[in-house]
Amino acid sequence: MSENSSRGWPRPIDATLHGVTDYTVGATLMTVLPNLVGISGTTAGTQIRVAGAIHAGYSTITDYPLGVVKAIPYKVHLALDALGAVALAATPFLTGQYRKGTSQWLPHVGLCLFELGSLLLTDPTGRGDYKADLAAVREGNMEDPHRKIHDGKLAVTPATA
Amino acid sequence: MRANVWSGRNTVQVENVPDPKILNDRDAIVRITSTAICGSDLHLYDGYIPTMEKGDILGHEFMGEVVEVGRGVSNLQVGDRVVVPFPIACGNCWSCQHELYSLCENSNPNAGMAEKMFGHATAGIFGYSHLTGGYAGGQAEYARVPYADVGPLKIEDGLPDEQVLFLSDIFPTGYMGAEFCEIRGGESIAVFGAGPVGQFAIASAVMLGAEQVIAIDQFDYRLEMARNRAGATDTIDFDEDADIVEQLKVLTGGRGPDAVIDAVGMEAVDSHGVLQAAERVKQAARSETDRGGALRDAILACRPGGIVSIIGVYGGLMDKVPMGALMNKGLSIKTGQCHVQRYMKPLYEHIKQGHIDPSFVVTHRLELGLAPDGYETFKHKQDECVKVVLKP
Repeated sequence: MSENSSRGWPRPIDATLHGVTDYTVGATLMTVLPNLVGISGTTAGTQIRVAGAIHAGYSTITDYPLGVVKAIPYKVHLALDALGAVALAATPFLTGQYRKGTSQWLPHVGLCLFELGSLLLTDPTGRGDYKADLAAVREGNMEDPHRKIHDGKLAVTPATA
Repeated sequence: MRANVWSGRNTVQVENVPDPKILNDRDAIVRITSTAICGSDLHLYDGYIPTMEKGDILGHEFMGEVVEVGRGVSNLQVGDRVVVPFPIACGNCWSCQHELYSLCENSNPNAGMAEKMFGHATAGIFGYSHLTGGYAGGQAEYARVPYADVGPLKIEDGLPDEQVLFLSDIFPTGYMGAEFCEIRGGESIAVFGAGPVGQFAIASAVMLGAEQVIAIDQFDYRLEMARNRAGATDTIDFDEDADIVEQLKVLTGGRGPDAVIDAVGMEAVDSHGVLQAAERVKQAARSETDRGGALRDAILACRPGGIVSIIGVYGGLMDKVPMGALMNKGLSIKTGQCHVQRYMKPLYEHIKQGHIDPSFVVTHRLELGLAPDGYETFKHKQDECVKVVLKP
């Protein structure tokens, strides 16, 4: 298997597509989602909006193509995603608000599962899914890339020479 | 025969398909000995060129041995070793008579489709969508070559395949890009993209007498090849410093390069993160076909009165082209699919005389059956991949 697929499943989401998801989900959580699931104005709704704002916030300072300031490494961003998702799902149960009804905890758990699913499909290297059999390529290659690039001499005669 | 076929976005596979046959008097059948994956094949692979159909045979860089000729082909004989140019050209129309072979008016049977998109039809191209004729490509054991009395170049000496194969596309394309720059000696030329075509644009600029040739890319190993093998005098790694325009000014005494070559095309990786992301989304949503990161920087960096040479492939529409900079700086744009037939013989002479060894770009030589792995390795820049040659 290839390096990026070594965990046994395809990871087609590269850093750019992950960033698109970050901002889209962050904006949706901050704006329309609480209204759509009928929790606008409640504590649960506020928690969802805050989670969206935090998510979009650290996206802007992530070192990936959509980051504005490249302050935190991409892998740290992914770890924050996972921790944030679990924290969001746990919040209604820690505060006890889950007793007020399904709408007070189900959106949190649903978003957590969505986030974790998205992380499972994300390539942590940021390059996207490399599907080839690299070992077979190296074994079948009749050239030596490193030598061709680094050890060869100039392949062209300059006009002035 | 075995052939590498397009099977959907990001999927190619080697399948058994019917052997090609002579259909017209001016056809020849070539048994392919070497074929290559072109950077522009990745646009097909990535699904950005419309009118691809499952089962289409890919490949427009190939060479081999003539095994059959039609009655109208008198210049080739069975057993001849030939390199086949990627544009299919009749040799008789107004464009061909003016050596504008990639604009041949007769070789694209789907001209109506191309006219709707471009205003006029362009030439047929091997293995490059139905927009360019739907011709079977050369990543196969055999190929039918239309107008074989015009296109193929006979190789009559013992030069190995890898030294002459790239006369089919990337060497003439890179050379044409450098020729567009009107190099007379002493110029400063910036080349965006150190992929295979970029490497040949760099080498050609060096051959033509440019004093300073600046290679721009985000992969160290490609910039290393540009320096060590193609003759670039300076390199810019925009992964380390995203402000390409400023860096080019610094390297050229504040003025900017005399000419810039865009050897990147429609899937440019922008050095500016937010813009890159916006373009990725627009391209995915099909609201624009071409990402313009390289071209924008090229226009902004070029010195006033300079030349912007575009040889990277673009397919349709691009947003936010800096027309103000283009117009107010008085830049000239020169572009086009390469008129390969015009360049093959003179460049073959350069190879024979030892002025250049085009095989320097080949980092991977694989059996045809590994074509799907070759595409992936090339696309993802794994294993220091610059150019993949396939051996059927």
